[in-house]
Amino acid sequence: MGLDIRVPLGLIFLIVGGLMSVYGVITRHSAIYERSLGVNLNLGWGLIMLLFGVIMFVVGRRQKWQDDPVNPRPWEREGTKHH
Amino acid sequence: MNLSAVDWLIMLVYFTFVLGIGFALKRYMRTSNDFFLAGRSIPAWVCGLAFISANLGAQEVIGMGASGAKYGINTSHFYWIGAVPAMVFVGIFMMPFYYGSKARSVPEYLRMRFDEKTRAVNAFSFAIMTVLSSGISMYAMALLIQTLGLFHGIIPDHYIFHVSIILSAVIVLGYIFLGGLTSAIYNEVLQFFLIVAGFAPLVWIGLKNVGGWQGIKQTLPATMTHSWRGMAHASTNTLGVEWVGLAMGLGFVLSFGYWCTDFLVVQRAMAADSEESARRVPLIAAIPKMFFPFLVILPGLIAVSITSHATPAASTVTAGPAASAPLVDQHPHGIIPQKTNPLNGQPIVDSKGEPVYNYDLAIPVMLLHFFPTGILGLGLTALLASFMSGMAGNVTAFNTVWTYDIYQAYINKRATDAHYLWMGRMATIGGILLSIAAAYAATSFNNIMDALQLVFSFVNAPLFATFLLGMFWKRTTGHGAFTGLVSGTVAALLHHGLTIPVDAMPGIHGGWIGIVHRYPSDMAQNFWTAIFAFSVNLVVTVVVSLMTRPRAESELVGLVYSLTPKPVEHHLRWYQKPSSLAWGVLGLLVVLNLVFA
Repeated sequence: MGLDIRVPLGLIFLIVGGLMSVYGVITRHSAIYERSLGVNLNLGWGLIMLLFGVIMFVVGRRQKWQDDPVNPRPWEREGTKHH
Repeated sequence: MNLSAVDWLIMLVYFTFVLGIGFALKRYMRTSNDFFLAGRSIPAWVCGLAFISANLGAQEVIGMGASGAKYGINTSHFYWIGAVPAMVFVGIFMMPFYYGSKARSVPEYLRMRFDEKTRAVNAFSFAIMTVLSSGISMYAMALLIQTLGLFHGIIPDHYIFHVSIILSAVIVLGYIFLGGLTSAIYNEVLQFFLIVAGFAPLVWIGLKNVGGWQGIKQTLPATMTHSWRGMAHASTNTLGVEWVGLAMGLGFVLSFGYWCTDFLVVQRAMAADSEESARRVPLIAAIPKMFFPFLVILPGLIAVSITSHATPAASTVTAGPAASAPLVDQHPHGIIPQKTNPLNGQPIVDSKGEPVYNYDLAIPVMLLHFFPTGILGLGLTALLASFMSGMAGNVTAFNTVWTYDIYQAYINKRATDAHYLWMGRMATIGGILLSIAAAYAATSFNNIMDALQLVFSFVNAPLFATFLLGMFWKRTTGHGAFTGLVSGTVAALLHHGLTIPVDAMPGIHGGWIGIVHRYPSDMAQNFWTAIFAFSVNLVVTVVVSLMTRPRAESELVGLVYSLTPKPVEHHLRWYQKPSSLAWGVLGLLVVLNLVFA
């Protein structure tokens, strides 16, 4: 397929991680973190997700999909059959 | 439940991506091969993650969290002995036949190896079963959304259930209709990472609260924190099964029957870009699978270990003359809520007047207990993602089996490929509509759904014997396979009708013919039903095969082990070989079992 899954995967983690980090920065020292034992999970985990998103996105953009998305299909190619 | 704008925003981002992937893939769907088999062009690691994600539906995540809370860490047997050996087996030994035979589905392999009638039995039972499972997944999701009050205050309470059903149906329909199997696989990969991202911080913060694994060990009885303790006898472990039943029933018959023959998962491996990739798919999948207990079972254990919030009623349950009570009830209940009657809101009590706990809420309650707004949106997204993947997996398997094994085989044999592609899209709509019907049937006839699922477990139980003999014994004949399969199912039915778990009433739990034997638990009964079904199938298939004429060996090349050339591997380095990966996976499995023994 012509779409590398790492691109959308990276993007969704970038956006969600970014949202959580920004929200975490705005709400630091807020009472909402009593639930999570005083840990600012939004900021900490948001940044980790952001990082993961960046890595996936960059790798996905760099490595183009190995297969030509259109023709021929792997089983249509000559000489790839097992003997 | 109070959600803020940021929670909704995170969920919205997820759903936008889910549908966006469908739209992005639409232009690649040119032939039926693209739609049903993802053009056989997906790399192994993507298929591998989809392979476990497709199985990681709602019943799985909610159910495993619930079992973790109820039985303890020995629930991980369902992931370790109950999945990993079978995944290694299907990758190393069976995938060359599924992928190499160019069959487009598991029922189609059965037709190539045996005959039309064996395929028909498998295709029809599988098609009905997938639609039903997808409906049950939908029902469970709507019920959970209703219980959590996710849309509370946004839409009137009595519409929440219907809105949830329609919404999930439209989304799943949308992305499969547009992008077929590729879309489902890509979304399963997203779901996999979201489930990890949503649950990993939950486990981390939960463990921090209860004092780590050592803290759990101190709070809970030893049978809950050791996966093999007390397995020698059914009465000394929480599952109520002895190790023979566990190893043979779960570890062999049930798990091989599922992971090696169920088209829902095998379809993901068949989409891989080469035979080596296809063989690696289940092996790659086995690695995260082994560690999933820490994400889905551990939250259940943490939920029951949180003592500071336990009500006095909950802690007294553990004391007193509990020696006769099943081991299941002899532990603290932490933050697990009691089951309440939906009509009057009163807590439900069992026949002895003890409160009944709603273990299914273990993971949702954990999310609400520990997650502040923001990351709560992520946790709920992970939960919704798991529901979606359960449904989508079933729907893609359904549309393929319907189109290739029912429509093309019996209704319209000679249509153009464009027609079958169109049929696949229509089957997707049909499958979703039938799922909705099944979801509503579940609301009004809860017992009928249980009974149907039971019947399907009888159909599935003997299946692995048919594949095992078909692939590894060239003498097996079509008549043998068909007779064996049917006898195996009948044997399962009879075994269920003649046995019963202790303290159950004859009826849906068994014993509806007469009671010959009592099992210590319904799990033990399940496992032994499967063992009987498998053995009967094995014996009958062998006997009938010996009495009927086998097919010419030349027709079976590529379908049977002894007549198929071994996969060429000499161009691969040692670490690229599927067998090296398999040994690594098995070694890791042993280590995990020793650590948590």
